[in-house]
Amino acid sequence: MTAIGRAWGNLTVTGRVLVPLLFLVLVVAPVATVLIALFVGPWVLDVLASNLGIVRFVVAITGVLLFTIPAAFVIIYMEMKVIARMNLRIGPDRVGPYGSLMSVVHGLKFLSKEDFTPTGADVPVFTLAPVAVFLATVMTFLVVPFGPGLVGQDLNIGLLYLFAVGGMNVVGLLMAGWASFNKYSLLGGLRAAAQAVSYEIPLTLSVVGLVLLAGTLSVYQIGAAQAGWFTDWFVFRQPLGALIFFIAGTAEANRSPLDMTEADQEIVAGFATEYSGMRFAFFFFAEYVNVFVMSALIVTLFFGAWNAPFPFPDVALALDPGSLGIGLVILLAAAPVALTLLFAAPFYLARSSTPAWQALLLGFITFNVVAVGGLLGAAYLGLDWFAGLAWFMVKTFIFVFVFVWMRGTFPRVRIDQLMGFAWKWLLPASLLNLFVTAAAILVVDALKAG
Amino acid sequence: MTTTTPHQHPSADDPRVLLDDQVGAFEAVPPYPPRTEREAEFYSLGDGEMFLNMGPQHPSTHGVLRVVLKIDGERVVDLDPVLGYLHRGVEKLCETSDFHHIISQLDPLEYISSLFMEWAPVMAFEQLLDVQVPRRAEYIRVLTGELNRVASHALFQGWMALDLGGLTPILYSFIERDEIVEMLAAITGQRMLFNYFRVGGVNGDLNHEFMSRLGDWMSRATAQNQANIELLNDNEIFVRRMRGIGRLDRETALRMGTTGPNIRAAGVPFDIRRAHPYSVYPELEFDIPTRGHDGGGDSLDRYLLRLDEVKQSLRIIDQCLHNMPDGPVMARLPRLLRPRPGRAWAAVEAPRGLFGTYVISDGTDQPFRMKIHDPSFVNLQLVGLLMKGNLIADTMAVMASLDPVMGGIDK
Amino acid sequence: MSTIPGMGMVRGMGLTLRRFFAPKATIQWPEVHADVAPKFRGRLQLLYDEYGTLKCETCFQCAQACPIECIDMGGIDTKGRFHVHWGPPETYGERREESALRRSGRPVADHGYTRFEGIDLGPLDAILDAHDYDPGDMLAILEEAQAEYGYLPVAALRHISRVTGAWYAMIYGTATYYRHLRFEPPAVTDTPPAGTAQRGIEDGYRSALDAALGLGGRPS
Repeated sequence: MTAIGRAWGNLTVTGRVLVPLLFLVLVVAPVATVLIALFVGPWVLDVLASNLGIVRFVVAITGVLLFTIPAAFVIIYMEMKVIARMNLRIGPDRVGPYGSLMSVVHGLKFLSKEDFTPTGADVPVFTLAPVAVFLATVMTFLVVPFGPGLVGQDLNIGLLYLFAVGGMNVVGLLMAGWASFNKYSLLGGLRAAAQAVSYEIPLTLSVVGLVLLAGTLSVYQIGAAQAGWFTDWFVFRQPLGALIFFIAGTAEANRSPLDMTEADQEIVAGFATEYSGMRFAFFFFAEYVNVFVMSALIVTLFFGAWNAPFPFPDVALALDPGSLGIGLVILLAAAPVALTLLFAAPFYLARSSTPAWQALLLGFITFNVVAVGGLLGAAYLGLDWFAGLAWFMVKTFIFVFVFVWMRGTFPRVRIDQLMGFAWKWLLPASLLNLFVTAAAILVVDALKAG
Repeated sequence: MTTTTPHQHPSADDPRVLLDDQVGAFEAVPPYPPRTEREAEFYSLGDGEMFLNMGPQHPSTHGVLRVVLKIDGERVVDLDPVLGYLHRGVEKLCETSDFHHIISQLDPLEYISSLFMEWAPVMAFEQLLDVQVPRRAEYIRVLTGELNRVASHALFQGWMALDLGGLTPILYSFIERDEIVEMLAAITGQRMLFNYFRVGGVNGDLNHEFMSRLGDWMSRATAQNQANIELLNDNEIFVRRMRGIGRLDRETALRMGTTGPNIRAAGVPFDIRRAHPYSVYPELEFDIPTRGHDGGGDSLDRYLLRLDEVKQSLRIIDQCLHNMPDGPVMARLPRLLRPRPGRAWAAVEAPRGLFGTYVISDGTDQPFRMKIHDPSFVNLQLVGLLMKGNLIADTMAVMASLDPVMGGIDK
Repeated sequence: MSTIPGMGMVRGMGLTLRRFFAPKATIQWPEVHADVAPKFRGRLQLLYDEYGTLKCETCFQCAQACPIECIDMGGIDTKGRFHVHWGPPETYGERREESALRRSGRPVADHGYTRFEGIDLGPLDAILDAHDYDPGDMLAILEEAQAEYGYLPVAALRHISRVTGAWYAMIYGTATYYRHLRFEPPAVTDTPPAGTAQRGIEDGYRSALDAALGLGGRPS
């Protein structure tokens, strides 16, 4: 007791607060967890099991929210790096390997900045605008299928939901533009509204032909309908629709060369002029998440969703781990050692000056690389959802690259040209696409019947 | 605050004014009653119009130019450029510095093309002093000057694209400019404010590093701007944004005293190098390119004309290298210059137009009066004519195509 | 504009994609410093050490940067010999008297000018050409120039400075650092009389002044 008393006396004030807390966490919490698991758990599980839909929804939403952050980070890093390379620069290369932690530092910078509200701003609207934009963007993720079975909610009106919710972020932009009490912001917000109104129409119309072909509004079903060879992708049956969707999607995502809302050479930063700190970060995030969503949509609707460009031969894993019995344990224990030694041998033999421990370390690293590669390969072959996710991500990031590439190349379009293009070219073209598709379907049906 | 008359708002600088109550204090309106009819007309708003302060801190106003736009939606109804944010009082500074010092005072006027800012005063002083500049010095002046013109026009290309929202061309431009600037630094010692021309010659002779860099550059100079040209000239977005915007017709150009590429793009072949030849330009062969159609030129013409000028500059550089005579690069002059009392005017064809200096000497070692005629300032008068009725985005295209430099405008 | 609409944009995208893989122009500051031109002037400042003494090293950078060459500089090199090194001769204090005499129209003995006299630069150009005008080969250039002329004339040093773009101060520093390089013809070099270095300096000034005034050798 004396020892504990002495130790307690030596503690600082902070320590006297923290030590009991630590005690609580370490001792009381596990006990409570076990008790809850024993007595309340079955009941909770029952409730959850009877409401599986809601549970699935909550898990999906959480997953989506968590996913947006790394996705936005990767795209921001990609944009910095790709545009830099196109400009004959190197781009960020100081933070982390090849500057890969630059986006994280960006995030920390936004966190540490002053959260500034200008005099004369409409404070509640000003505060809510970034949230509105961010939520509208993130909510579209709900129906995006990342792979077979990997979809938040397979709505049967998924496509409709996408356009409805995706169009909502314009409300947020308009709110931001209005509430900032800044003329540049106001212009930016109004431009956003005008642009959204103009481009929603060709965006939606360009997909109608595709919906006629697929016979469903469910995004998941549209994705599933493109299985097989890459010639089954809808882009080959709807090339004009794909082009219109791509252009209108660029405008919807406010990407260069159609980024009227934040044209910094004309209206400084548009709706985001007066925002700083975390509120600006929300806009920033929403923009890049929007790019991801738009790429994902293009891939899902026109480029075969999660399907590989060719049907992969269905290789069944020859080895069934369960049949090995005790041999599995031996294998798990012996294989790393044996493979490490095997991979270490060439390093050791290649140069006599390499010490044994270095060779062993290199061998161990190589073994790990090979093992992880092998596991991923096995997962790719064995797990449908893993293969689908891999293909989906690869294709999506190709389109993200195209968006960044366009930003690095083109000057900006003028606002009246933008509007004219939407109403004079995209709208008639999408209508033409719709009529031709409908007529073709009728003709094919008639031929089949006849 | 109930009244809506704009000019009755108190100043935003007045500490007694509570900004929360005085929303009008955020307006672009000056805090004093209108002094001219034009001000009264401009600073009263019509139905559905509002003021938009573009600058002095704006991403694309070429320095600290402030333009008050009166806009109706996206359309610019009227505009009022406000100058003076970069005013240094150079003309007055020149009156208190001796003739050698003035050269370095004028360097930062148009900091993109500082050699021309040295050339005109040096020529004026030489007239006052009756100095015969060695021929080699004259050739070096022409050579370095034309190099500087190429660098300036290369930057213009990038700026033009940047003001239209293209991120990449400006960096290619800077890479090209860097080569020329490094080349000039090899003989002048500095990269931007060269301070190279002297009364009676130039500061140093050509050296081997300069020559090797120049030869290296000349061998691929014809393909120099190829990247930007490929990026921009055929780009439908770029061409559509420039064609027909900011149309300047011949008569207006002449009436407003426009010079340089801007008037040549309107179809008037006016070039000081031919109209009032100076230095060794009469001995050199080059054309005065003109653009424009139907008696006027638009932003695209002004852009393309500068590309043509680069080609002519390359011709001149080539001839300079072939005809470069031997000899001294500096005339023998006393250390302290005391020209005879009198006046002199000298003008050079700077990349932005006629840059002239008018010097009055009273016989001391400092000029009595020094007037600087800056092409950017004269060309800037056009913005009011060219931007009216366009969209906000077009103000950028027009401004960039006029290529003003605020250092020279505010002096 | 191209005939096919949109072709120009496609070409532009092709260009940026090519540039994506092209070598980069970035200079990795602060690890790598951009090359500064040999004639770079920077900021010139006269510094004092903690004893209040001028830290001037007679590097001539100020003299070279001076727009009207009004800074003149005479100095003693590291071997205690008297030299003037920059600018036209009449700007130097010890030469001014003679220059005044010359301007008065009287004929003046001009032996003070020998170091500045023009020399035949043909052999020097051949040497420089062999070394590719490379300032990095300065010692070799100077050695060969001395072998050619017997000593290093000021005119030769200035010519080297001009064509290679290296600072005159750098060349001069190289030349004074090595004991085997000399600035006078070997025959003319007089060994410094026995005594302190201070005395040698005074003698140098005095003999130069005497020579300038045409007084001939006055007993010191």
